[in-house]
Amino acid sequence: MTSIPNSHLSLDPHGAEFARDPYAIYEAMRALREPFYYDDIETWMLTRMADVEAVALNKTMLRNNEEYISEQARLAQQKALNFHDMPHHERFVQINLLESEGDTHARLRKVVFREFTPAMISRQRAAIQAYVDHLLDQLSDHEEIDFVGDFAAHVPGHIIGRVLGVPDEDCDQLRHWSEEVVRFFDPGRDDADKARAEQATKEFYEYLLTLLTEREKKPQEDLLSRLVEQRNAGNLSQDELISTAMLILMAGHGSTIDVLGSGMHALLRFPDQHVRLCEDPSLMKTAVQEMFRFESPLPFFHRFATEETEVGGKTFPAGTRFGLLYGAANRDPERFENADQFDVGRVPNRHMAFGGGAHFCLGNHLARLDMDVIFTTLNTRFSQIALADPSPEYKRGLSVRGPKALRVGWTRA
Amino acid sequence: MVKVIFIEASGNRIEAEGSVGDSVMQVAVAAGVEAISADCGGACACGTCHCVMSEDWFARLPAPQSDEVDMLEFVIDPQKNSRLSCQVTLSDAMEGIEIQVPASQI
Repeated sequence: MTSIPNSHLSLDPHGAEFARDPYAIYEAMRALREPFYYDDIETWMLTRMADVEAVALNKTMLRNNEEYISEQARLAQQKALNFHDMPHHERFVQINLLESEGDTHARLRKVVFREFTPAMISRQRAAIQAYVDHLLDQLSDHEEIDFVGDFAAHVPGHIIGRVLGVPDEDCDQLRHWSEEVVRFFDPGRDDADKARAEQATKEFYEYLLTLLTEREKKPQEDLLSRLVEQRNAGNLSQDELISTAMLILMAGHGSTIDVLGSGMHALLRFPDQHVRLCEDPSLMKTAVQEMFRFESPLPFFHRFATEETEVGGKTFPAGTRFGLLYGAANRDPERFENADQFDVGRVPNRHMAFGGGAHFCLGNHLARLDMDVIFTTLNTRFSQIALADPSPEYKRGLSVRGPKALRVGWTRA
Repeated sequence: MVKVIFIEASGNRIEAEGSVGDSVMQVAVAAGVEAISADCGGACACGTCHCVMSEDWFARLPAPQSDEVDMLEFVIDPQKNSRLSCQVTLSDAMEGIEIQVPASQI
Protein backbone atom coordinates (compact mmCIF):
# COMPACT_ATOMS: atom_id res chain seq x y z
CA MET A 1 0.00 0.00 0.00
CA THR A 2 1.31 3.46 -0.92
CA SER A 3 -0.27 6.76 0.16
CA ILE A 4 -1.20 9.12 -2.62
CA PRO A 5 0.08 12.67 -1.84
CA ASN A 6 -2.45 15.50 -1.47
CA SER A 7 -5.30 13.04 -0.89
CA HIS A 8 -6.64 10.87 1.88
CA LEU A 9 -6.37 7.84 -0.43
CA SER A 10 -3.81 5.05 -0.75
CA LEU A 11 -3.08 2.68 -3.60
CA ASP A 12 -3.82 -0.78 -2.27
CA PRO A 13 -4.94 -2.84 -5.28
CA HIS A 14 -5.66 -5.90 -3.16
CA GLY A 15 -7.94 -4.03 -0.79
CA ALA A 16 -11.73 -3.94 -0.84
CA GLU A 17 -11.82 -0.17 -1.42
CA PHE A 18 -9.89 -0.42 -4.69
CA ALA A 19 -12.12 -3.25 -5.91
CA ARG A 20 -15.23 -1.23 -5.03
CA ASP A 21 -14.15 1.98 -6.79
CA PRO A 22 -10.71 2.12 -8.40
CA TYR A 23 -11.72 5.27 -10.27
CA ALA A 24 -11.56 7.55 -7.22
CA ILE A 25 -8.03 6.30 -6.60
CA TYR A 26 -7.05 6.72 -10.26
CA GLU A 27 -8.41 10.27 -10.09
CA ALA A 28 -6.31 11.08 -7.02
CA MET A 29 -3.22 9.79 -8.88
CA ARG A 30 -4.13 11.75 -12.02
CA ALA A 31 -4.57 14.93 -9.96
CA LEU A 32 -0.84 14.79 -9.14
CA ARG A 33 -0.23 15.83 -12.79
CA GLU A 34 2.83 13.59 -12.98
CA PRO A 35 3.58 9.84 -12.89
CA PHE A 36 3.07 8.28 -9.46
CA TYR A 37 5.70 5.90 -8.03
CA TYR A 38 4.14 2.76 -6.58
CA ASP A 39 6.98 1.36 -4.54
CA ASP A 40 5.35 -2.01 -3.75
CA ILE A 41 6.05 -3.06 -7.34
CA GLU A 42 8.75 -0.47 -8.18
CA THR A 43 6.67 0.95 -10.99
CA TRP A 44 5.80 4.46 -12.23
CA MET A 45 2.05 4.51 -12.65
CA LEU A 46 0.58 6.43 -15.59
CA THR A 47 -3.04 7.56 -15.39
CA ARG A 48 -3.31 10.26 -18.10
CA MET A 49 -4.32 9.08 -21.58
CA ALA A 50 -1.57 11.15 -23.22
CA ASP A 51 1.12 9.41 -21.14
CA VAL A 52 -0.34 5.91 -21.45
CA GLU A 53 -0.74 6.30 -25.20
CA ALA A 54 2.80 7.68 -25.61
CA VAL A 55 4.35 4.73 -23.76
CA ALA A 56 2.18 2.08 -25.46
CA LEU A 57 3.19 3.42 -28.88
CA ASN A 58 6.86 3.95 -28.04
CA LYS A 59 8.85 1.23 -29.79
CA THR A 60 11.70 1.53 -27.28
CA MET A 61 9.35 0.46 -24.47
CA LEU A 62 9.19 -3.32 -24.14
CA ARG A 63 7.14 -5.79 -22.12
CA ASN A 64 10.21 -7.85 -21.45
CA ASN A 65 13.44 -6.38 -20.11
CA GLU A 66 15.59 -9.48 -20.51
CA GLU A 67 17.08 -8.35 -23.80
CA TYR A 68 18.98 -5.44 -22.33
CA ILE A 69 19.67 -6.29 -18.69
CA SER A 70 22.84 -8.17 -17.77
CA GLU A 71 22.92 -11.95 -17.68
CA GLN A 72 23.42 -11.73 -13.91
CA ALA A 73 20.40 -9.47 -13.49
CA ARG A 74 18.34 -11.75 -15.72
CA LEU A 75 19.22 -14.81 -13.64
CA ALA A 76 18.43 -12.91 -10.43
CA GLN A 77 15.07 -11.89 -11.87
CA GLN A 78 14.25 -15.46 -12.88
CA LYS A 79 15.32 -16.75 -9.49
CA ALA A 80 13.01 -14.24 -7.84
CA LEU A 81 10.15 -15.55 -9.96
CA ASN A 82 11.26 -19.07 -9.05
CA PHE A 83 9.65 -20.88 -11.92
CA HIS A 84 12.43 -23.35 -12.66
CA ASP A 85 10.49 -26.13 -11.04
CA MET A 86 7.74 -25.45 -13.59
CA PRO A 87 9.20 -26.76 -16.86
CA HIS A 88 5.97 -26.90 -18.86
CA HIS A 89 4.78 -23.53 -17.60
CA GLU A 90 8.11 -21.90 -18.39
CA ARG A 91 8.21 -23.49 -21.85
CA PHE A 92 4.67 -22.78 -23.02
CA VAL A 93 3.23 -19.98 -20.89
CA GLN A 94 6.00 -17.65 -19.86
CA ILE A 95 7.41 -17.43 -23.37
CA ASN A 96 4.75 -16.59 -25.94
CA LEU A 97 3.43 -14.07 -28.45
CA LEU A 98 2.39 -11.66 -25.70
CA GLU A 99 5.82 -11.70 -24.07
CA SER A 100 7.85 -11.52 -27.28
CA GLU A 101 9.06 -8.37 -29.02
CA GLY A 102 10.40 -7.17 -32.35
CA ASP A 103 10.80 -9.63 -35.21
CA THR A 104 9.69 -12.66 -33.17
CA HIS A 105 6.50 -10.88 -32.11
CA ALA A 106 5.78 -9.70 -35.67
CA ARG A 107 6.34 -13.20 -37.07
CA LEU A 108 4.08 -14.92 -34.52
CA ARG A 109 1.39 -12.26 -34.79
CA LYS A 110 1.33 -12.55 -38.56
CA VAL A 111 0.79 -16.31 -38.30
CA VAL A 112 -2.52 -15.86 -36.45
CA PHE A 113 -3.65 -12.36 -37.46
CA ARG A 114 -5.75 -13.47 -40.44
CA GLU A 115 -7.95 -15.62 -38.19
CA PHE A 116 -8.88 -12.60 -36.09
CA THR A 117 -9.70 -10.09 -38.81
CA PRO A 118 -13.28 -8.77 -38.87
CA ALA A 119 -14.07 -10.81 -41.98
CA MET A 120 -12.95 -14.09 -40.40
CA ILE A 121 -14.50 -13.34 -37.02
CA SER A 122 -17.87 -12.42 -38.55
CA ARG A 123 -18.15 -16.07 -39.63
CA GLN A 124 -18.60 -16.96 -35.95
CA ARG A 125 -21.78 -14.90 -35.54
CA ALA A 126 -24.20 -17.76 -36.19
CA ALA A 127 -22.29 -20.08 -33.83
CA ILE A 128 -22.25 -17.47 -31.07
CA GLN A 129 -25.97 -16.82 -31.56
CA ALA A 130 -26.78 -20.55 -31.44
CA TYR A 131 -24.78 -21.08 -28.26
CA VAL A 132 -26.21 -18.00 -26.53
CA ASP A 133 -29.74 -19.13 -27.46
CA HIS A 134 -28.98 -22.62 -26.15
CA LEU A 135 -27.78 -21.26 -22.79
CA LEU A 136 -30.69 -18.85 -22.46
CA ASP A 137 -33.19 -21.62 -23.25
CA GLN A 138 -31.92 -23.33 -20.12
CA LEU A 139 -31.86 -20.19 -17.95
CA SER A 140 -34.74 -18.00 -19.01
CA ASP A 141 -37.29 -19.75 -16.79
CA HIS A 142 -35.23 -18.93 -13.71
CA GLU A 143 -36.42 -15.79 -11.97
CA GLU A 144 -32.92 -14.96 -10.78
CA ILE A 145 -29.46 -16.03 -11.94
CA ASP A 146 -25.81 -15.19 -11.45
CA PHE A 147 -25.25 -13.48 -14.78
CA VAL A 148 -21.50 -14.11 -14.54
CA GLY A 149 -21.28 -17.68 -13.26
CA ASP A 150 -24.42 -19.12 -14.82
CA PHE A 151 -24.20 -17.41 -18.17
CA ALA A 152 -21.31 -15.11 -19.16
CA ALA A 153 -18.60 -17.47 -17.97
CA HIS A 154 -19.65 -20.10 -20.51
CA VAL A 155 -19.71 -18.08 -23.72
CA PRO A 156 -16.25 -16.69 -24.60
CA GLY A 157 -14.35 -19.91 -23.81
CA HIS A 158 -16.79 -21.93 -25.87
CA ILE A 159 -16.43 -19.60 -28.86
CA ILE A 160 -12.63 -19.28 -28.73
CA GLY A 161 -12.51 -23.07 -28.43
CA ARG A 162 -14.53 -23.30 -31.65
CA VAL A 163 -12.21 -20.82 -33.42
CA LEU A 164 -9.23 -22.92 -32.42
CA GLY A 165 -10.93 -26.17 -33.31
CA VAL A 166 -11.52 -27.74 -29.90
CA PRO A 167 -14.54 -30.07 -29.71
CA ASP A 168 -17.49 -28.42 -27.92
CA GLU A 169 -17.53 -31.06 -25.19
CA ASP A 170 -13.94 -30.19 -24.16
CA CYS A 171 -14.43 -26.42 -23.80
CA ASP A 172 -15.26 -26.57 -20.08
CA GLN A 173 -12.08 -28.54 -19.42
CA LEU A 174 -10.08 -25.93 -21.32
CA ARG A 175 -11.59 -23.18 -19.22
CA HIS A 176 -10.57 -25.04 -16.09
CA TRP A 177 -7.00 -25.48 -17.34
CA SER A 178 -6.79 -21.81 -18.33
CA GLU A 179 -7.87 -20.71 -14.86
CA GLU A 180 -5.32 -23.01 -13.26
CA VAL A 181 -2.51 -21.94 -15.58
CA VAL A 182 -2.94 -18.24 -14.80
CA ARG A 183 -2.76 -18.89 -11.04
CA PHE A 184 0.98 -18.43 -11.45
CA PHE A 185 0.44 -14.76 -12.28
CA ASP A 186 -1.54 -14.06 -9.11
CA PRO A 187 0.80 -11.98 -6.91
CA GLY A 188 -0.47 -13.88 -3.87
CA ARG A 189 0.39 -17.29 -5.33
CA ASP A 190 1.88 -19.96 -3.09
CA ASP A 191 3.66 -23.24 -3.88
CA ALA A 192 0.37 -25.11 -4.15
CA ASP A 193 -0.85 -22.61 -6.78
CA LYS A 194 2.38 -23.02 -8.70
CA ALA A 195 2.07 -26.81 -8.61
CA ARG A 196 -1.50 -26.60 -9.90
CA ALA A 197 -0.47 -24.16 -12.64
CA GLU A 198 2.31 -26.49 -13.75
CA GLN A 199 0.09 -29.58 -13.67
CA ALA A 200 -2.63 -27.83 -15.70
CA THR A 201 -0.06 -26.64 -18.25
CA LYS A 202 1.23 -30.21 -18.62
CA GLU A 203 -2.27 -31.62 -19.12
CA PHE A 204 -3.19 -28.79 -21.48
CA TYR A 205 -0.01 -29.47 -23.50
CA GLU A 206 -0.68 -33.19 -23.75
CA TYR A 207 -4.26 -32.52 -24.82
CA LEU A 208 -3.14 -30.11 -27.55
CA LEU A 209 -0.56 -32.63 -28.80
CA THR A 210 -3.35 -35.17 -29.35
CA LEU A 211 -5.46 -32.62 -31.22
CA LEU A 212 -2.49 -31.57 -33.34
CA THR A 213 -1.83 -35.15 -34.35
CA GLU A 214 -5.45 -35.39 -35.49
CA ARG A 215 -5.15 -32.15 -37.48
CA GLU A 216 -1.97 -33.31 -39.15
CA LYS A 217 -3.81 -36.37 -40.42
CA LYS A 218 -7.00 -34.54 -41.31
CA PRO A 219 -6.86 -30.72 -41.48
CA GLN A 220 -10.06 -28.81 -40.70
CA GLU A 221 -11.24 -25.24 -41.22
CA ASP A 222 -9.86 -24.10 -37.87
CA LEU A 223 -6.97 -22.24 -36.30
CA LEU A 224 -5.16 -25.38 -35.09
CA SER A 225 -4.99 -26.68 -38.66
CA ARG A 226 -3.73 -23.29 -39.80
CA LEU A 227 -1.04 -23.36 -37.09
CA VAL A 228 0.06 -26.83 -38.18
CA GLU A 229 0.28 -25.60 -41.77
CA GLN A 230 2.35 -22.60 -40.67
CA ARG A 231 4.64 -24.77 -38.54
CA ASN A 232 5.20 -27.12 -41.48
CA ALA A 233 6.03 -24.07 -43.61
CA GLY A 234 8.72 -23.14 -41.08
CA ASN A 235 6.95 -20.00 -39.83
CA LEU A 236 6.86 -21.10 -36.21
CA SER A 237 8.30 -23.89 -34.08
CA GLN A 238 6.34 -26.65 -32.38
CA ASP A 239 6.80 -24.99 -28.97
CA GLU A 240 5.67 -21.65 -30.40
CA LEU A 241 2.62 -23.37 -31.86
CA ILE A 242 1.67 -24.81 -28.46
CA SER A 243 2.31 -21.56 -26.59
CA THR A 244 0.33 -19.57 -29.17
CA ALA A 245 -2.64 -21.95 -28.94
CA MET A 246 -2.56 -21.78 -25.12
CA LEU A 247 -2.30 -17.99 -25.13
CA ILE A 248 -5.25 -17.63 -27.50
CA LEU A 249 -7.37 -19.91 -25.35
CA MET A 250 -6.42 -18.12 -22.13
CA ALA A 251 -6.60 -14.58 -23.49
CA GLY A 252 -9.83 -15.41 -25.26
CA HIS A 253 -12.12 -15.84 -22.34
CA GLY A 254 -11.25 -14.36 -18.92
CA SER A 255 -11.32 -10.69 -19.85
CA THR A 256 -14.45 -11.04 -21.98
CA ILE A 257 -16.28 -12.71 -19.08
CA ASP A 258 -15.25 -9.78 -16.87
CA VAL A 259 -16.47 -7.11 -19.29
CA LEU A 260 -19.71 -8.99 -19.92
CA GLY A 261 -20.32 -8.84 -16.17
CA SER A 262 -19.29 -5.22 -15.72
CA GLY A 263 -21.09 -4.19 -18.93
CA MET A 264 -24.32 -5.74 -17.71
CA HIS A 265 -23.78 -4.11 -14.34
CA ALA A 266 -23.26 -0.71 -16.01
CA LEU A 267 -26.50 -1.07 -18.00
CA LEU A 268 -28.39 -1.92 -14.82
CA ARG A 269 -26.79 0.89 -12.80
CA PHE A 270 -27.71 3.40 -15.50
CA PRO A 271 -31.24 2.31 -16.47
CA ASP A 272 -31.75 5.33 -18.73
CA GLN A 273 -28.91 4.05 -20.89
CA HIS A 274 -30.35 0.52 -20.83
CA VAL A 275 -33.72 1.83 -22.01
CA ARG A 276 -32.02 3.95 -24.66
CA LEU A 277 -30.19 0.88 -26.01
CA CYS A 278 -33.32 -1.28 -25.99
CA GLU A 279 -35.24 1.41 -27.88
CA ASP A 280 -32.45 1.95 -30.41
CA PRO A 281 -30.57 -1.31 -31.14
CA SER A 282 -28.46 0.53 -33.74
CA LEU A 283 -26.49 1.85 -30.75
CA MET A 284 -25.17 -1.63 -29.92
CA LYS A 285 -21.71 -1.08 -31.44
CA THR A 286 -21.13 2.17 -29.57
CA ALA A 287 -22.62 0.64 -26.42
CA VAL A 288 -20.14 -2.24 -26.52
CA GLN A 289 -17.28 0.20 -27.08
CA GLU A 290 -18.50 2.18 -24.07
CA MET A 291 -18.62 -0.95 -21.87
CA PHE A 292 -14.94 -1.54 -22.66
CA ARG A 293 -14.06 2.09 -21.93
CA PHE A 294 -16.14 2.43 -18.78
CA GLU A 295 -14.94 -0.77 -17.09
CA SER A 296 -11.80 -1.84 -18.91
CA PRO A 297 -11.38 -5.54 -18.04
CA LEU A 298 -7.57 -5.52 -18.25
CA PRO A 299 -6.82 -2.18 -16.60
CA PHE A 300 -3.06 -2.57 -16.11
CA PHE A 301 -0.12 -3.58 -18.28
CA HIS A 302 3.55 -2.70 -17.92
CA ARG A 303 6.43 -1.64 -20.14
CA PHE A 304 10.16 -1.28 -19.50
CA ALA A 305 12.10 1.69 -20.85
CA THR A 306 15.12 0.50 -22.80
CA GLU A 307 16.62 3.98 -23.00
CA GLU A 308 16.34 7.27 -21.11
CA THR A 309 12.86 8.62 -21.79
CA GLU A 310 10.66 11.58 -20.89
CA VAL A 311 7.16 10.68 -19.78
CA GLY A 312 4.61 13.07 -18.32
CA GLY A 313 7.17 15.86 -17.95
CA LYS A 314 9.76 13.77 -16.06
CA THR A 315 12.90 12.07 -17.32
CA PHE A 316 13.39 8.40 -16.51
CA PRO A 317 16.47 6.21 -16.95
CA ALA A 318 16.67 3.01 -18.99
CA GLY A 319 15.29 0.10 -17.00
CA THR A 320 12.36 2.09 -15.54
CA ARG A 321 9.17 0.08 -15.28
CA PHE A 322 5.97 1.91 -16.21
CA GLY A 323 2.44 0.89 -15.30
CA LEU A 324 -0.05 1.66 -18.06
CA LEU A 325 -3.34 2.10 -16.23
CA TYR A 326 -5.70 1.70 -19.16
CA GLY A 327 -8.66 1.75 -16.78
CA ALA A 328 -7.59 5.20 -15.56
CA ALA A 329 -6.67 6.58 -19.00
CA ASN A 330 -10.11 5.57 -20.25
CA ARG A 331 -11.67 7.85 -17.63
CA ASP A 332 -9.32 10.79 -18.31
CA PRO A 333 -11.48 13.94 -18.56
CA GLU A 334 -8.85 15.53 -20.80
CA ARG A 335 -9.74 12.91 -23.43
CA PHE A 336 -13.38 12.04 -22.68
CA GLU A 337 -16.21 14.47 -22.06
CA ASN A 338 -18.11 13.49 -18.89
CA ALA A 339 -15.63 10.65 -18.51
CA ASP A 340 -17.37 9.10 -15.50
CA GLN A 341 -20.70 9.01 -17.30
CA PHE A 342 -21.77 5.77 -19.00
CA ASP A 343 -23.05 6.80 -22.44
CA VAL A 344 -24.10 4.04 -24.85
CA GLY A 345 -24.01 6.46 -27.78
CA ARG A 346 -20.55 7.90 -27.08
CA VAL A 347 -18.77 9.04 -30.28
CA PRO A 348 -15.86 9.42 -30.62
CA ASN A 349 -14.69 6.81 -28.18
CA ARG A 350 -11.00 6.20 -28.77
CA HIS A 351 -10.36 4.21 -25.61
CA MET A 352 -7.40 1.98 -24.86
CA ALA A 353 -9.14 -1.02 -23.33
CA PHE A 354 -7.53 -3.19 -26.02
CA GLY A 355 -4.14 -1.64 -25.40
CA GLY A 356 -2.20 0.02 -28.18
CA GLY A 357 0.88 -0.31 -30.29
CA ALA A 358 2.33 -3.58 -31.53
CA HIS A 359 0.61 -5.59 -28.75
CA PHE A 360 -2.89 -4.28 -29.58
CA CYS A 361 -5.42 -6.96 -28.60
CA LEU A 362 -5.56 -9.59 -31.32
CA GLY A 363 -9.00 -10.83 -30.26
CA ASN A 364 -10.76 -7.47 -30.04
CA HIS A 365 -13.21 -8.15 -32.89
CA LEU A 366 -14.19 -11.51 -31.41
CA ALA A 367 -14.75 -10.01 -27.95
CA ARG A 368 -16.88 -7.24 -29.45
CA LEU A 369 -18.90 -9.71 -31.51
CA ASP A 370 -19.56 -11.89 -28.43
CA MET A 371 -20.80 -8.80 -26.60
CA ASP A 372 -22.89 -7.57 -29.52
CA VAL A 373 -24.69 -10.90 -29.93
CA ILE A 374 -25.22 -11.36 -26.20
CA PHE A 375 -26.65 -7.94 -25.39
CA THR A 376 -28.76 -7.85 -28.55
CA THR A 377 -30.23 -11.24 -27.64
CA LEU A 378 -30.86 -10.28 -24.01
CA ASN A 379 -32.65 -7.12 -25.11
CA THR A 380 -34.86 -9.17 -27.39
CA ARG A 381 -35.63 -12.07 -25.08
CA PHE A 382 -36.20 -10.24 -21.80
CA SER A 383 -38.62 -7.42 -21.15
CA GLN A 384 -36.99 -6.54 -17.90
CA ILE A 385 -33.65 -7.20 -16.21
CA ALA A 386 -32.75 -5.79 -12.79
CA LEU A 387 -30.03 -6.10 -10.20
CA ALA A 388 -30.92 -8.56 -7.45
CA ASP A 389 -27.82 -7.59 -5.46
CA PRO A 390 -27.29 -3.81 -5.63
CA SER A 391 -23.61 -4.03 -4.61
CA PRO A 392 -21.90 -6.90 -6.40
CA GLU A 393 -18.36 -7.58 -5.28
CA TYR A 394 -15.61 -6.98 -7.86
CA LYS A 395 -12.40 -8.97 -8.21
CA ARG A 396 -9.39 -7.62 -6.36
CA GLY A 397 -6.09 -6.66 -7.97
CA LEU A 398 -4.49 -4.16 -10.28
CA SER A 399 -4.68 -6.27 -13.42
CA VAL A 400 -8.31 -7.36 -13.51
CA ARG A 401 -11.68 -5.62 -13.38
CA GLY A 402 -14.97 -7.47 -13.30
CA PRO A 403 -17.64 -8.62 -10.87
CA LYS A 404 -17.10 -11.97 -9.13
CA ALA A 405 -20.82 -12.59 -9.47
CA LEU A 406 -23.79 -10.54 -10.64
CA ARG A 407 -27.19 -11.59 -9.32
CA VAL A 408 -29.95 -10.40 -11.65
CA GLY A 409 -33.65 -10.99 -11.86
CA TRP A 410 -35.30 -11.10 -15.27
CA THR A 411 -38.63 -11.41 -16.98
CA ARG A 412 -39.12 -12.99 -20.38
CA ALA A 413 -40.49 -10.81 -23.17
CA MET B 1 1.27 23.11 -42.43
CA VAL B 2 0.17 20.70 -45.15
CA LYS B 3 -3.43 20.58 -46.42
CA VAL B 4 -5.02 17.13 -46.69
CA ILE B 5 -8.50 16.46 -48.07
CA PHE B 6 -10.31 13.34 -46.88
CA ILE B 7 -13.21 12.15 -49.02
CA GLU B 8 -15.63 10.00 -47.04
CA ALA B 9 -17.65 7.16 -48.60
CA SER B 10 -20.69 9.49 -48.68
CA GLY B 11 -18.71 11.93 -50.82
CA ASN B 12 -18.36 14.37 -47.93
CA ARG B 13 -15.05 16.23 -48.10
CA ILE B 14 -13.14 17.04 -44.92
CA GLU B 15 -10.29 19.50 -45.28
CA ALA B 16 -7.63 19.21 -42.63
CA GLU B 17 -4.12 20.40 -41.95
CA GLY B 18 -1.17 18.59 -40.42
CA SER B 19 2.49 19.24 -39.77
CA VAL B 20 5.31 17.73 -41.76
CA GLY B 21 6.22 14.49 -39.97
CA ASP B 22 2.67 13.76 -38.75
CA SER B 23 1.07 10.60 -40.08
CA VAL B 24 -1.98 10.92 -42.32
CA MET B 25 -3.82 8.87 -39.67
CA GLN B 26 -3.04 11.47 -36.99
CA VAL B 27 -4.37 14.23 -39.24
CA ALA B 28 -7.55 12.22 -39.93
CA VAL B 29 -8.18 11.46 -36.25
CA ALA B 30 -7.62 15.10 -35.25
CA ALA B 31 -10.03 16.20 -37.99
CA GLY B 32 -12.72 13.79 -36.78
CA VAL B 33 -12.70 11.48 -39.80
CA GLU B 34 -14.82 8.79 -38.17
CA ALA B 35 -14.02 5.94 -40.55
CA ILE B 36 -10.32 6.10 -39.68
CA SER B 37 -10.66 4.27 -36.39
CA ALA B 38 -6.93 3.54 -36.04
CA ASP B 39 -7.53 1.21 -33.12
CA CYS B 40 -3.89 0.36 -32.35
CA GLY B 41 -2.90 4.03 -32.37
CA GLY B 42 -0.49 3.86 -35.29
CA ALA B 43 1.65 0.73 -34.92
CA CYS B 44 0.62 -1.06 -38.12
CA ALA B 45 -0.94 -3.70 -35.85
CA CYS B 46 -4.69 -3.56 -36.56
CA GLY B 47 -5.48 -2.56 -40.15
CA THR B 48 -8.19 -0.05 -39.16
CA CYS B 49 -6.79 3.12 -40.76
CA HIS B 50 -7.11 1.94 -44.36
CA CYS B 51 -7.41 4.61 -47.04
CA VAL B 52 -7.05 4.77 -50.81
CA MET B 53 -4.85 7.19 -52.74
CA SER B 54 -5.26 8.26 -56.34
CA GLU B 55 -2.96 6.40 -58.73
CA ASP B 56 -0.87 9.52 -59.16
CA TRP B 57 -0.42 10.17 -55.44
CA PHE B 58 0.24 6.51 -54.72
CA ALA B 59 3.12 6.53 -57.20
CA ARG B 60 4.56 9.74 -55.78
CA LEU B 61 4.64 8.57 -52.15
CA PRO B 62 7.44 6.43 -50.70
CA ALA B 63 6.49 2.78 -51.21
CA PRO B 64 4.92 0.88 -48.29
CA GLN B 65 7.21 -1.30 -46.13
CA SER B 66 6.66 -5.05 -45.92
CA ASP B 67 4.73 -4.96 -42.61
CA GLU B 68 2.24 -2.52 -44.14
CA VAL B 69 1.91 -4.63 -47.31
CA ASP B 70 1.24 -7.69 -45.11
CA MET B 71 -1.43 -5.87 -43.12
CA LEU B 72 -3.12 -4.50 -46.24
CA GLU B 73 -4.01 -8.09 -47.18
CA PHE B 74 -6.45 -8.10 -44.28
CA VAL B 75 -8.34 -4.83 -44.76
CA ILE B 76 -11.84 -4.80 -46.17
CA ASP B 77 -11.90 -4.39 -49.95
CA PRO B 78 -8.23 -3.55 -50.55
CA GLN B 79 -7.41 -1.61 -53.74
CA LYS B 80 -4.17 -1.48 -55.67
CA ASN B 81 -3.63 2.05 -54.32
CA SER B 82 -4.53 1.19 -50.72
CA ARG B 83 -2.39 2.44 -47.86
CA LEU B 84 -2.54 2.34 -44.09
CA SER B 85 -2.74 5.99 -43.17
CA CYS B 86 -0.64 5.45 -40.02
CA GLN B 87 2.29 4.54 -42.24
CA VAL B 88 2.10 7.57 -44.54
CA THR B 89 4.10 10.53 -43.25
CA LEU B 90 3.19 14.06 -44.29
CA SER B 91 5.71 15.98 -46.35
CA ASP B 92 5.56 19.41 -48.00
CA ALA B 93 5.20 17.65 -51.35
CA MET B 94 1.82 16.31 -50.22
CA GLU B 95 0.10 19.72 -50.12
CA GLY B 96 -3.51 19.30 -51.25
CA ILE B 97 -3.48 15.48 -51.37
CA GLU B 98 -6.94 13.93 -51.71
CA ILE B 99 -7.51 10.66 -49.85
CA GLN B 100 -10.51 8.33 -50.11
CA VAL B 101 -11.75 6.88 -46.85
CA PRO B 102 -13.81 3.64 -46.82
CA ALA B 103 -17.26 3.53 -45.22
CA SER B 104 -16.01 1.33 -42.41
CA GLN B 105 -12.86 -0.45 -41.33
CA ILE B 106 -14.58 -3.45 -39.79
